[in-house]
Amino acid sequence: MVLDTSKLGLPVEIGQIGKELKKLWEGDGGTMTRASLINFAVYCEGAEAGEQNTEFIIEFTRDHACRALLIIAEPQAAETTIHAWINAHCHLSRAGAKQVCCEQISFVLEGKASNLIPNIVFANLDSDLPLVLWWQAEFPDPLDGRFWALVDRLVFDSQKWVEPTKQFKLLLDSLARTESRLAMCDLNWTRSLHLRQALAQMFDHLENRRILDGMTTITISYAPDFRSTALLLVGWFAAQLKLELKHHDQAQVILATPRGHEVTCQLVAEPGRSISRCQISAPEGVVEVAREGSGDFFSVDVRLSDSRTYHHLLPAGNNESASLLAEELALGGRHRVYIKALAVAKELM
Amino acid sequence: MFSLLSIDPGPITAYALNPNILSSNPLREGLSSRPMPQPCNVVIFGASGDLTFRKLIPALYNLAADGDLPAATHIIGFARREKTDESWRTELKESTAKSSRSGLNEGIWSSVAPRIFYHQSEFGDLEGYRTLARKLDELDAQSGTQGNRLFYLSVSPTEYEGILTQLAAAGLNQSPTGGWTRVIVEKPFGTDLRSAHELNEVVGRVFHEKDTFRIDHYLGKETAQNILVLRFANGIFEPLWNHRYIDHVQITASETLGVEKRGPYYESSGALRDMVQNHLLQLLCLTAMEPPTDLGADSIRDEKVKVVRSLRQMTPEDVTKNVVRGQYGAGAISGKEVIGYREEDRVSPTSQTETYVALKVNVDNWRWADVPFYIRVGKRLPKGGTEIAIQFKHAPSVLFNKPGEPLGPNVLVIRIQPDEGISLRMQCKMPGNAIRIEPVKMDFHYGTSFGKASPEAYERLLLDAMSGDATLFARRDEVEGAWRFIDAIEDAWHKTEPPPPLCTYPSGSWGPKEADELLEREGRAWRRL
Repeated sequence: MVLDTSKLGLPVEIGQIGKELKKLWEGDGGTMTRASLINFAVYCEGAEAGEQNTEFIIEFTRDHACRALLIIAEPQAAETTIHAWINAHCHLSRAGAKQVCCEQISFVLEGKASNLIPNIVFANLDSDLPLVLWWQAEFPDPLDGRFWALVDRLVFDSQKWVEPTKQFKLLLDSLARTESRLAMCDLNWTRSLHLRQALAQMFDHLENRRILDGMTTITISYAPDFRSTALLLVGWFAAQLKLELKHHDQAQVILATPRGHEVTCQLVAEPGRSISRCQISAPEGVVEVAREGSGDFFSVDVRLSDSRTYHHLLPAGNNESASLLAEELALGGRHRVYIKALAVAKELM
Repeated sequence: MFSLLSIDPGPITAYALNPNILSSNPLREGLSSRPMPQPCNVVIFGASGDLTFRKLIPALYNLAADGDLPAATHIIGFARREKTDESWRTELKESTAKSSRSGLNEGIWSSVAPRIFYHQSEFGDLEGYRTLARKLDELDAQSGTQGNRLFYLSVSPTEYEGILTQLAAAGLNQSPTGGWTRVIVEKPFGTDLRSAHELNEVVGRVFHEKDTFRIDHYLGKETAQNILVLRFANGIFEPLWNHRYIDHVQITASETLGVEKRGPYYESSGALRDMVQNHLLQLLCLTAMEPPTDLGADSIRDEKVKVVRSLRQMTPEDVTKNVVRGQYGAGAISGKEVIGYREEDRVSPTSQTETYVALKVNVDNWRWADVPFYIRVGKRLPKGGTEIAIQFKHAPSVLFNKPGEPLGPNVLVIRIQPDEGISLRMQCKMPGNAIRIEPVKMDFHYGTSFGKASPEAYERLLLDAMSGDATLFARRDEVEGAWRFIDAIEDAWHKTEPPPPLCTYPSGSWGPKEADELLEREGRAWRRL
């Protein structure tokens, strides 16, 4: 692997990481504050991803005090090698002129050394702090479930998977086998967070609730690469409104309300944002949340059947992985609604 | 004077009692861990006042920018000065750009601005309220706000009675369509028990207690809210949180500023009424209260009220012994010379108003028997900050804590502002062959650990009031109990002969030496901030 290691810091022996970190802090003359609230491990494959994550972690530590572990793997490499580096990222704190620093330990694992990930992570955690693992690749088959015992939050992005059905099966089977209680954090689910919040806010308003109760059509416009995001959104509607799946094809999903009324979800692939529009239609009115161009906000329109209309702007968030991760960490908790939405979405994938 | 004897606050509707009935939105699950407010019309009395420009509108703007302000919410400013909707919006835009923690986004402002209106009227003019009622009805009809209304009294307390009377006379204290009507009342809530009681009576004749939100912005601060989490979400503190392990508690609120332009207000108030009656007693209550049965507003406030009721009432002799009042003289702050209080603008040259007060408070209950709470608050002190320091009892005088060489106590400090955080002081062996023990500090800083800034206190409090959550607002019995305690001190100062002395202290010092003596005679000392 040809990797620019200049930003990874000081090369160290694997067995000497703890000692070298101690030296690193002893040399600061007491001018810096080391802060850590989580262990944040990133697993990625290939040199390019490694370099991107190195840059990402520098920025990430500005807002998230952590011990970062960057694992750059090349499982297909013929030769088995392990290399490690340590580094510190210091920023001025929000509170004032104090330098706040986070540690980063980086590993490059080639060939069979990739199998050592659990051991490497276990050995280098900041004790008693939760572990957030961001797995940026496909999960290997078979998937070693023993690792999950250590992980508190497993972050992944199902939108980037080539075979989501297979990946979900691997992951869910593995979690079930080990009876893991980790929180699954799918950035593909976080991607629709602001859209779901905007939709939910419209129905906090009692007057609009009748649109939800009487809805006949949900139209979701999605960018072609983001069909899985749209399907999770369909899963969300189905799970939260107790809609039963009746029929589905590429263009639409037919759902039924508990009273037997049909709701048609039209799925429209078109260039644009991951989900550029979601419209809920009922005889009582229409709620439409749309994001146009490069704006940071959703344009929300409510058109009631008596000709009254409202227009609002609501935050739309950002589709960058770093922003999605920040949203995810700010949200916390276990994603029970995601599990329910996923159960429906898997049927549609 | 206005008469309010026959005004009825109106029936308590089922969903006014439980706002969550209305928020059973199936799409909300997992998206918010707090009750979401219903869309409403927010009417601000005192629309041209400083608080409106610097705090209230920026807070409402930031709620909108974060997507937390219900989309159909309207803001109506009510004031005497002649303005149009457009001119008020222009002024608000300018001040919000200056005061908002997130700056001002043109897109968000342009979506909020059309929902802002100005209503010009004298506070005592009933017709002004009738036209307001018609305006609110129109807005309700346009946007389906269901008659939900929040009235914010950002005016002098002398205006409360007039405004509330007219609100009731115009029927604005009851929603025309079965929604909720609530009132937020700014401090000071009275100037003594009698006036607080009268104000409560006035408010109570117009609004139900559950719809009355007495704001104390200290309670909206992140660290104040964290006191309950620290105490009751951790297993290690609560077993120690009592007279067996705690020696005493110090609550400090210090300011480097003088009275600035608030001379006339301060002359009629003083540090005891301005800070201790509300902010500092609130912090004391959160520190001293028993665990509530649940996190409901009344469960928490019930426990706080029990603390207020347990405060040992002071006799004039107790006041002389346990309370020190001071007034700043000339001195220096941050290397610059500053004038004394009596030289300040619109302050009497013979003023007897205290700008500093230190007091020893006893909480007479089982948990806090013989544990004094020392409170000090002052202006023109060398450093600004608010904190609660829990000082634990000394370790036994065996092994390391020998009588001749006593070690300092463990101190848990909760910093409310600035540099919000928590620190714990403990003893530690210095490296070396000999046993040498020094204090070390474990320190947690919000600003260092969390990159995300906390919302402003007013954002949280406005959202809570719109959601009907009164947890962070003071209840009537809490306010009156606090005044009962404060009145005994004020009476001793102003109604006994000879009155206890008013000490002076130079600006830039930590207060009068008598305040140090208050602790020294019990073998204690104020913490160095």
